[in-house]
Amino acid sequence: SETFNSELFRKFGSQNGGLGILGLTAPDEFGGTGLPDATAVSIVHEELSYSDPALCLSYLAHSILLVNNLAVNANDEQLARFMPGICDGSKIGGMCMSEPNAGTDVLGMKSNAVYDSARDGFILNGTKMWITNGTLTGKETGDLFLVYARTGTEKRSDITQFVVEAGMEGFNVGQKITDKLGMRSSPTAELVFENVFLPAKTHVVGDVNGATLCMMRNLEIERVALAAMAVGIARRSLDEMIAYASNRPAFGKSSLFSFGQIQKHISESYAEYMAGKCYLYAMANGLDLSAYGNGLDADGVKLYCATMAKNVADRAIQVMGGYGYCGEYTVERLWRDAKLLEIGGGTNESHHKNMARDLHKLDG
Amino acid sequence: MRKILVPIKRVIDYAQKIRVDPSKGAQGVQLKNVKMSMNPFCEIAVEEAIQLKEQNKGAEVVAISVGPKQCTETIRTALAMGADRGIHIETKPDVRGDYIDLQPWAIATLLKGVVEKEDAVDLVLLGKQSIDSDCGQTGPLLAGLLNAPQATFAANIERGDDGSFTVERETDTGTETIKLNASGKPAVITCDLRLNTPRYPTMPNIMKAKKKPVETISLEDMVKELGLDLDEVLTPKHEVVEVYEPPPRKEGETVGSIDELLGKLKERGLVA
Repeated sequence: SETFNSELFRKFGSQNGGLGILGLTAPDEFGGTGLPDATAVSIVHEELSYSDPALCLSYLAHSILLVNNLAVNANDEQLARFMPGICDGSKIGGMCMSEPNAGTDVLGMKSNAVYDSARDGFILNGTKMWITNGTLTGKETGDLFLVYARTGTEKRSDITQFVVEAGMEGFNVGQKITDKLGMRSSPTAELVFENVFLPAKTHVVGDVNGATLCMMRNLEIERVALAAMAVGIARRSLDEMIAYASNRPAFGKSSLFSFGQIQKHISESYAEYMAGKCYLYAMANGLDLSAYGNGLDADGVKLYCATMAKNVADRAIQVMGGYGYCGEYTVERLWRDAKLLEIGGGTNESHHKNMARDLHKLDG
Repeated sequence: MRKILVPIKRVIDYAQKIRVDPSKGAQGVQLKNVKMSMNPFCEIAVEEAIQLKEQNKGAEVVAISVGPKQCTETIRTALAMGADRGIHIETKPDVRGDYIDLQPWAIATLLKGVVEKEDAVDLVLLGKQSIDSDCGQTGPLLAGLLNAPQATFAANIERGDDGSFTVERETDTGTETIKLNASGKPAVITCDLRLNTPRYPTMPNIMKAKKKPVETISLEDMVKELGLDLDEVLTPKHEVVEVYEPPPRKEGETVGSIDELLGKLKERGLVA
């Protein structure tokens, strides 16, 4: 069955001769690998997802949503304090944005942080939902999270980004989300914040009420990473269906490649996969992680690749028939895992909204 | 320890299905669009060199490869594992390394020249054989040309303070331990499977590898520099006469009784 392999995950860190990819984009003077490169990010996500999209999702939540966000938005003091642990594999965490009643409508979030001048800190209250790595054990929270909360009521965008650490009073797991369709070996949780105190000098990332900037700077690479996951899923599905079809005789023919419907499944999957892969890497090759404003193609590549991966995995199950339906043959898991990519990190609908807005703007 | 030289070979990846085109005769093994990797026994040699370097501060590990342009990638893998620098003797793209064009004698001759040119080489570590030609000759030939002490099929290597190497050798009849005395010549040791488990290059090391120096020199220039004869080096000493895929496995035979089974085994000389 599919469970989170935290031992393997920690080997992605840089300690004890580990792979050193948890801090892929983080500066090496703070313990990262010093490769702020969207192509590298894409390659890693594609390859991990070729084998286990769920483990890759936890990797993405940690390395992109947490580590990269901090690397781009935190000050030197925060980097020195938080970065080493999340790069070496000792601390695992993620990012909290969505809530039980606000997903695509990000700025509709109700979690709030009120400034207490007597203690020079913020009191955080609220609930966050669908948090990858929210809990590793099911009981305790993950180690470190970036949390978005409302800190002003004047504008919808009066949001601030905070760092919340495991063990802080009032910070708990609401529930571990079980029985998901896919991404089962990635732990998902609801996290609850009850009067959690966050010192203003150390646990506010970026400016107060300035978190939309932090968000914008990270969403593009997040979408590229998710698109790369889709490409990995599609590539694996293709390899599996081609290998199966090559070795399965039927109706007196030595392989399924003699049959038109199978030819159609395989060739269409290949062309769609290549289109997605080329869009991804064309986009990634030109993406500067420290800038923003490339949202259109970040949304576009995820929108295209997510659905593409789902379709290719679906065709793989079909080509493999009864075997495709069984867990042992991998593709059914890829199909279930692929579906998440049309929802997490931006629903298809959110991409429609963003892209239409951007294209309308371009039209002047 | 001063320098450890590790010759590495770029070969068809061990997991690839080999395809033979019968119309191409001796050149039948398909190399186009086939995944290539560092020879697995060469990986073991690189790993051993790095472990020795880690135990002997100040030692330098030099990876060297003879082959087409893409060999620099193979050398980069060695650098990412921890080698310090690389030497690439670049051949023209149509020169085959899988026993068709370049053969162990040519490689050993080139390596002898490099060892002498580098100077201060204490140890040459090679894979016991490459998985394409499976000759197992380059190491022993090199040792012979250098008049150097050699040990093949190493399953364990220990370096003595006096510069000697004690090597456990795997043979068909058991393990043999021999000592290569310090001689002023580099020890030549070829590595077998059980010597170590090669490390995966980590991301930070892959990135550091990009900055490590790789000297590229064409085969023609290297031959000239070493004072060798190009024709001598490139003319194969052996000719591959035929290449063919192994015949497909035949169906087994069912027998009716143990006596019959014993009879068949005796017939085939498999049982006395």
